[in-house]
Amino acid sequence: MSEIKVKLKAEIQRLLNEDIMDMVIAFKKEDSPLRPQPAFFKNPDELEDLEYNSLCQNNLATYLTRYPQDTRIGIIVRGCESRSVNALIVEKQHKRENLYMIGIPCHGIIDVRKIINRTGEEISDYSEDQDEVSVLFEGQEVKFPRKEVLHDSCLRCVHPNPVNADILLDDPLPEGDPAVVRQAVESFETMDKDERYALFRHEAERCIRCYACREACPMCYCTECFVDHATPRWSESEISPAGTHAWHIIRAFHLAGRCTSCGACERACPMDIKMTYLTDKLNENMLEEYQFEAGMDDETQPPFASFNLDDKKRFVL
Amino acid sequence: MKTRPKIALFQCQWCLYSEPDQCWVDNELPPSIHLIKLPCTGRINPLYILNAIQGGADGIVISGCHPEKCHFKEGNLSALRQHDEFLNFLDYIGYERSRIRFVWLDLQDRGRIQRELADFEAEISKLGKVKNLATRIGTPVGDQYV
Repeated sequence: MSEIKVKLKAEIQRLLNEDIMDMVIAFKKEDSPLRPQPAFFKNPDELEDLEYNSLCQNNLATYLTRYPQDTRIGIIVRGCESRSVNALIVEKQHKRENLYMIGIPCHGIIDVRKIINRTGEEISDYSEDQDEVSVLFEGQEVKFPRKEVLHDSCLRCVHPNPVNADILLDDPLPEGDPAVVRQAVESFETMDKDERYALFRHEAERCIRCYACREACPMCYCTECFVDHATPRWSESEISPAGTHAWHIIRAFHLAGRCTSCGACERACPMDIKMTYLTDKLNENMLEEYQFEAGMDDETQPPFASFNLDDKKRFVL
Repeated sequence: MKTRPKIALFQCQWCLYSEPDQCWVDNELPPSIHLIKLPCTGRINPLYILNAIQGGADGIVISGCHPEKCHFKEGNLSALRQHDEFLNFLDYIGYERSRIRFVWLDLQDRGRIQRELADFEAEISKLGKVKNLATRIGTPVGDQYV
């Protein structure tokens, strides 16, 4: 893994030294080894802080929309991030020619909570290889098989390889099995409607309306979100059942045909609320009905932005 | 006394009910049916539907022009995909899909809106109150229930 870091550093240095890009969005070390933070490198001297491992849990595409379109940005992209970037390009949030995508085929992001739940908070060191991660907890080394601590949405990942990346820093990985993607949706669908509602309720009503999921999501870039509207007030902003239900329904629905299943929303959630079973279902419908998968290229419009006269056959009454 | 189910009727202002029907909709709707007129069914945001449900509607009827006869040529087509998907989605989380009905109307469908509404009301009465989605009804405001 560390060889990737060396290659990454060299590549970022090249981009900044030769003035190919204005800035590079990557990760840097933080106080806790478990939580590398997004970093915005403009100067090659700052690069000693650079970090890249499987704990880098943010979707960096989120930060693209916060810069003007003419900023030349280099960005680290893993499979899902590259698709988010492509989807943002389709929605004209940044120009492709002003982007440089440094692709890294992804082995999956580690869910910090899964490690902490088994050991404890005070972890002083972290290392990893292809199959195993190990942490230093109270002076003792604890090892986990990688598969056990991967984030749920990474376990269901189909496209680990970056799409449309300018450079790949590692050999491409085999694609995932599409049948695995359905797991979350399938287990939800086997229940009857009251049970489904009970589960949805259980998840949604824990929500404290911090909107961390919205901030973490690369596709949630509206300057004014529907929950912030004062008149008309579309959803109650306090923590009432009606308000949280409305938030979870509409949040997921606004991502229909745009979500790339990166799972950043779940990783950002302080209440550990499951959300991907909602967006995965919408993604699945989009694939079935419109043969569309978000971010697989940077030209195709998402289904809701386009329509077809043949549609009328599908809505017979 | 048994109360009639509350129904929100979203009507596209161009979907040309025949004149007596339009007159009936404008003036003689039963109090349990709430009329919302829109410039086109394409204007209906899924938020409107959700808001109507959470505001206490037991059922929702959306009436618009036939897909190929839209006043704005293709307004309802662009919205159809969203509506269809939104209903599938509500169904997925456990809300009864049959509580929302689309009716395509045309000048020739004289007297149909009354039939549809009566039929729909009967169906909703069977389903009863909304259970599978939290509504704002009964939320205490201060110490009063509104």
